[in-house]
Amino acid sequence: MYKLSHAWERKIDLIYLLTLKEVALKYKRTFLGIFWSLLNPLLMTLVYFIAFKVFMRFKVDNYTFFLLSALFPWTWFSSSLIISARSLVDNVSLIKKVVFPRSYLVAAVINAQLVNLIFSIPILLFLAFFYTGGPAWCWVIGIPLLIAIQFLFTLGITLIVSISNTYFRDIEYLVGVFMNLIFWMTPIIYPMSSVPEKYRPLFFLNPLTSLMSAWRELFLHNTLQWKESGIALGMALLTWGIGVAVFRKLERRLDEVL
Amino acid sequence: MSEAVIVQNLIKKYPSLKKPPGFKQWIVSLPKMLSQKSEQPYFTALNNVSFTVKKGECLGIIGKNGAGKSTMLSLLLGTSFPSAGSVAVNGKRTPLLELGAGFHPELTGKENIILNGVLLGLTRGEVEARLDSIVAFSEIERFIEMPVRTYSSGMYLRLAFSVAIHTDPEVLLIDEILAVGDESYQKKSEQALVSLIKRGVTTVFVSHNMEAVKKICNRVITLKNGQIEFEGEPDVAIQNYMHVLGS
Repeated sequence: MYKLSHAWERKIDLIYLLTLKEVALKYKRTFLGIFWSLLNPLLMTLVYFIAFKVFMRFKVDNYTFFLLSALFPWTWFSSSLIISARSLVDNVSLIKKVVFPRSYLVAAVINAQLVNLIFSIPILLFLAFFYTGGPAWCWVIGIPLLIAIQFLFTLGITLIVSISNTYFRDIEYLVGVFMNLIFWMTPIIYPMSSVPEKYRPLFFLNPLTSLMSAWRELFLHNTLQWKESGIALGMALLTWGIGVAVFRKLERRLDEVL
Repeated sequence: MSEAVIVQNLIKKYPSLKKPPGFKQWIVSLPKMLSQKSEQPYFTALNNVSFTVKKGECLGIIGKNGAGKSTMLSLLLGTSFPSAGSVAVNGKRTPLLELGAGFHPELTGKENIILNGVLLGLTRGEVEARLDSIVAFSEIERFIEMPVRTYSSGMYLRLAFSVAIHTDPEVLLIDEILAVGDESYQKKSEQALVSLIKRGVTTVFVSHNMEAVKKICNRVITLKNGQIEFEGEPDVAIQNYMHVLGS
């Protein structure tokens, strides 16, 4: 069997333990513990179901399923970004007194939030059975693929946001406002078809548009959109590259600004 | 290669602004900043410092508060980077700076041991294999499954110290931590350190405790205002330093 080198084994252990710490701390001193990761999306589903089935009726088929198929992945992105904005600032003592790759702190936040997405997949599975007659095998390839793409993209953005926040603490407040803006500028609660024709090219400048569209098609229509996934992957790689470069550059003065 | 640490012409500056300029101030001073390139004021914590530490040697660094001792250690550790000059360290660096820096109060003693051990350079399997001896050395077997927020400060330090010395250090960076726990534990921790040093671990030891410096160091550097004032035998260095303090 292939044996990992000591250094790699340690890196994997470190990311695993930092992730475990994030997850464990989130639910420390709660009675339900990790069940909140399942309960949260479940309650959210219920709320949306009531809201859009009873009060606001859109002319979109199976609106709740339509909404959740993009909202769950979006929640992974937005909560990762909002939480990781403070991940360096909140770990001053670790950063100043122990040497390890600082980017792991950011990656651990994204991993911990991914747990929530994974827990919400059973809900989508259930809705798929209910509305479309069940998921197809492309979920098995599609879900890990889109998770990988979104992870890269999110990591790129959060590396920039978290390190910038150590220089200017204003960033974490800006993030909140911008997340709201981007949420409304990404087809999550509305379909792309409701966007006026002339604005559509603008929408595809937003890397999240193709990503969310790929998620939605996968869950809603059991199709893996290779073109959208490809565009999303390209943008994710670019974002990740920029994120790593910026982080490396600014990281060297971290001890002076924290 | 017998040099474990090589420091050459090291300079470390920190921006000396007490408060970063806020938005209001920035707007006010923007025209001035654009018209003339402003020199940002710097505080020089270390100024042109050079020294080496041989493998297996124990170097003591003494000096008044603010002389640059802790800055030196953070540069050796690699948590901060030189403004100019160079620092080279051969071997795995193990900090004994602020004990328990990686501890989280809500995690249990055992969880903290494993996380800290991995942070200090082991794999999870290696830490788990040493768990028993780490716990035994820290003498807190009974509380190991409890969150460390419930620990007394002595227990907290003992656990952190125990983890650090069980991670196969090659270059130990120590900042004033020999006062761990009660008197009997202090003796035990001191013995553990001395035996590590005897085994050939390179050590840089920052302390105000002159007795300890005299006991374990082979050579001493006296820092003053970020510069090396004296370098040589521990006895001579301490004598000079005490003399300066007295006058």
